[in-house]
Amino acid sequence: MIPMEYFLALAAVLFIIGTYGVLTRRNAIVVLMCIELMLNSANINFVAFSAFYDDFRGQVFALFSIAIAAAEVAVGLAILLALSKARDTINIDEVDALRW
Amino acid sequence: MQPVEFAWLIPIFPLIAGLIIGLFGARLKEGGGYIAILGSGISLLLTSVVVWQVLDGSFDLADGIADGIFEQSRSWLVFNEAYAFEIGIYIDQLTALMLIVVSLVSTLVIIYSIAYMGEEGGRKRRYYTEISLFVGVMLGLVLANNYLELFIFWELVGLCSYLLIGFWYHKPSAASAAKKAFIVTRVGDIMFMAGLIILFTTFKTLNFRELFELDVSGSDLGLLSIGTFMIFGGAIGKSAQFPLHDWLPDAMEGPTTVSALIHAATMVKAGVYLVARSFPLFVQTPDILLFVAVIGGITAFMAATMALNNPNIKRVLAYSTISQLGYMMLALGAGGYLFYHLHNPEGYTASMFHLMNHAFFKALLFLCAGSVIHAVHTEDMKLMGGLGKKMKITSLAMLIGALSISGIPPFSGFWSKDEVLATVFEAGELHWIFVILYILGIATAFMTAFYMFRLWFMTFSGSEGEASHHAHESPRIMTFPLIILSILAAGSFLVLFIGGGFGSQVFFEEPHVLSGLEIISLTFGNPLTYLSIVVAVCGFALAYAIYYKHIISPEIFVSTRSRKAMYNLLINRYGFAAGYNAFAERVVYGFALLCDAFDRYVIDGIVNGIALLLVRTGNYARKIQTGNVRFYAVIIVLAISIIIILFYLAGGLR
Repeated sequence: MIPMEYFLALAAVLFIIGTYGVLTRRNAIVVLMCIELMLNSANINFVAFSAFYDDFRGQVFALFSIAIAAAEVAVGLAILLALSKARDTINIDEVDALRW
Repeated sequence: MQPVEFAWLIPIFPLIAGLIIGLFGARLKEGGGYIAILGSGISLLLTSVVVWQVLDGSFDLADGIADGIFEQSRSWLVFNEAYAFEIGIYIDQLTALMLIVVSLVSTLVIIYSIAYMGEEGGRKRRYYTEISLFVGVMLGLVLANNYLELFIFWELVGLCSYLLIGFWYHKPSAASAAKKAFIVTRVGDIMFMAGLIILFTTFKTLNFRELFELDVSGSDLGLLSIGTFMIFGGAIGKSAQFPLHDWLPDAMEGPTTVSALIHAATMVKAGVYLVARSFPLFVQTPDILLFVAVIGGITAFMAATMALNNPNIKRVLAYSTISQLGYMMLALGAGGYLFYHLHNPEGYTASMFHLMNHAFFKALLFLCAGSVIHAVHTEDMKLMGGLGKKMKITSLAMLIGALSISGIPPFSGFWSKDEVLATVFEAGELHWIFVILYILGIATAFMTAFYMFRLWFMTFSGSEGEASHHAHESPRIMTFPLIILSILAAGSFLVLFIGGGFGSQVFFEEPHVLSGLEIISLTFGNPLTYLSIVVAVCGFALAYAIYYKHIISPEIFVSTRSRKAMYNLLINRYGFAAGYNAFAERVVYGFALLCDAFDRYVIDGIVNGIALLLVRTGNYARKIQTGNVRFYAVIIVLAISIIIILFYLAGGLR
């Protein structure tokens, strides 16, 4: 059996890649994709712990999180569509209307 | 049911009258003057019945009476069992005396006002409202059965006097006189209040009977001394005693009827009444009694000197009131001192007898002065003169008043003044200070006779003054009270000879029952009596020589430089008014400026500083909000990382 640390290391790598993407990318769609990466790394942890401790609740949580991520992406893409119509851009650096 | 059980209604009638006039006076005849007469008239009637019962002795049969004292009360402010205030009435001989004096004099003054204030038009409503209120609260003050209730009415009396002195508020002098009366007496009132707090915290009660029956000794005696001292402070302010006497001459700015009321029956008598009412407390503190006597003696003497050369008819009378109030305080102090050492209670009776007589002759004198002012439209005696022929009733009434206050026998002032001086002389055997006070008292008697007859001669005798050409006698509604008061001023001494005499009715601890013959033989068997008569006659003779016969010119009093300086000192009231003004200007105003600066720079500085700090930090802090999503993300990642690291270090993750 593959040791636990491998799964955790993979999840950590994925999480860091995702975080890096969120912090550096300007394209809002790429930022959304990176958030998905971070969520998936969490899902990997859930599933790994679930298998190792022989407890199905981790898998249930992973399913929940995938469903919520899907919903979130749907909302996020809708916002981005509205944004691109209104502002003609999806560069998040140019969208700072909430500032004071 | 006994009449005395309805005594609580006595102050109610004038108060209701005041309320009615205040609400509907504009639509009533004479601005509601007749309602005011009705209000105090009913009080007078009820008072007469109650006083009759007190004098009659049938009083002892009523419920709730012990030791000749009738008390009715209900609890009013209850904090717990130990701390309760009550509201009620307390009737003994002193209350009876004050009630009859206040209601009788007030009723006569209000009747007189109908004519005197007749030309005031729409302002009459205000006048009658305030005067009814004044009479009502004074009656309430007299009836109170505990110090708190007394204090409330005491303050209301102050308020009413303020309103009435400032009746012609459009005149700046009247407005400032009203303020002065209010503020100067307030100095005494603060002391009074402090005294009450001391008494209440020490003895846990303010009820008269409970306080008077306390057995005080040890450290409580010291506190009692402070308490009585403070209470006397209140009396100093209200009764215009030295050094808070200065407001009373200024209070002449009000209508003359108000002066008559303030001087004869209400305001200033409240202070004397307070000391007399607290007499059982005062007699336990001989040092304070000595102080009372000294203040009284100084006041009597000093006020009399200031009356010697004043040209204003009302001011002379005002100084004379202060002087006579000094006599009353002197008698209370000396009498209390005597009582403490020898158990001789006559000083109390002497003081109250003088209070009663003074109420009658001073009301008479003021109303006469009002009648003169009404006729000549000036208060300056130099412009009067020769009025005797034109105003026969007024001049005769004023002559009776002057004879009475000067202490010429057999007018009533003689008897009471003589008793006061006899008490002080008797106390002279106990303490040397009373010898000096006796000399001051005799000197005051001389000056009193002099200035009263100076006033009379300047006003009524000699050639016609500038202002007296068109003078004529006042209407009958004004002379009627004068006649009644003349009879009282001349004849109120007769109470000495009715029954057991005045001392068997108004006394402290034990009545001194004397038959009429005994009183006469005691009075005229005493060489001191002749001294005071001679002194009074000398005062009269001097005034006669200067202002009637013109043998001596009044100019000699200002002929040399030192005499002129003396004259100016008296006219300037020993510089008291100026001194108070300077004190107010330098010390009080300086302190106020200091407070203002403190408020402006320190308090406001702190508040503004805090506000400025917040604005500045806000200015910096708002720049954190960039609106940049990635910047927020960085903050979140960093924050969570730090939290996790801290958790790890703290061992929370293991």
